[in-house]
Amino acid sequence: MNPSAPGAGPAPARRPFHGRRLLRALHRDTGYLVAGLTVVYAVSGIAVNHIEDWNPTWHLVREERRFAPMPVTDRETMTAELVRVLELPGPPRSAFRRAPEQIELFYDGWSVQADVTAGVASTMRPSERPLLGDANHLHLNHPRGAWTFVADAYGFLLAGLAISGLFMIRGRLGLRGRGKWLLAAGLALPALFLLLRRL
Amino acid sequence: MKRLALATAALATLLSAPVARPTDGTKYGAGVTGAQLVKVSELRAHPDRYVGKTVRVEGLVTDVCPRRGCWMEVAGDKEFQTMRVKVDDGVIVFPLTAKGKVATVEGVFEKFVIPVEQVEAWKRHEAEEKGVAFDPKSVKGPENFYQIAGTGAVIR
Repeated sequence: MNPSAPGAGPAPARRPFHGRRLLRALHRDTGYLVAGLTVVYAVSGIAVNHIEDWNPTWHLVREERRFAPMPVTDRETMTAELVRVLELPGPPRSAFRRAPEQIELFYDGWSVQADVTAGVASTMRPSERPLLGDANHLHLNHPRGAWTFVADAYGFLLAGLAISGLFMIRGRLGLRGRGKWLLAAGLALPALFLLLRRL
Repeated sequence: MKRLALATAALATLLSAPVARPTDGTKYGAGVTGAQLVKVSELRAHPDRYVGKTVRVEGLVTDVCPRRGCWMEVAGDKEFQTMRVKVDDGVIVFPLTAKGKVATVEGVFEKFVIPVEQVEAWKRHEAEEKGVAFDPKSVKGPENFYQIAGTGAVIR
């Protein structure tokens, strides 16, 4: 006999609303959704924290070359002479002199800096760090526009993830148990730094 | 069928709409709004006339902050002259690849008086970088330093 068949017996009791179960489901699925972006933001965040020590997006590849010193003349003549002596790939896009003997030739994405009296030239090629450059591009919201909405939505979801995480588990391991101590420790650390700032 | 025709017409309108050409350049910060265009040579010759005013300069980007992209040097209409454009760290980031491109920059012209101790420290550092002996006589007292506090730029 099929107990769920119509007229087979009393109607089953309505399932009670399980808030915590819903919370866990939301927490789990949001976690899947934001996992990738969290890693991107975390890696970029660590890189950008150390911006005093390095450029987290670009690195400059320098190559020094020496040539026979040449006389200081005008910009056009010096440019043509350097292109010939250093065997550069044609005339530069533009050139600039910082001082009479110092000239910089600009090509697409790279440049050559030379001191013609010292006979020293440095080729400089900025190169974007693979992956990290892209991560910083997103983290620092360089795309602007639509990405701002994505980043804002991510922020809200992350806050929701943190708050829902507090109430997922009951009992000894939950917020009323050791959870409250860990929460307090997590809040105490930034609070301490803010307190020291005001002293 | 009518809906399909409407959708096709909308798509065609979108595709035929004017798009930003590469020559229009990349906008940074607030971009440029049309403040008074001043030559770098004019700013260098009469800086105090422009202190506190919003100015716009245009020129070749000769250098970019290698770490944060928080400043760039824009060459003027005369040789050996540049003007530094400083932006708030992280708010605007100029890419290293901007070097050699032409920038139009807007911002407030600022003046700083550098104390003699800092001038000496700076010239000593410069001499070390160039590998030449530092000459204390080159420090003649406090120096004025001018820059544009950039609010926006277009680089092309």
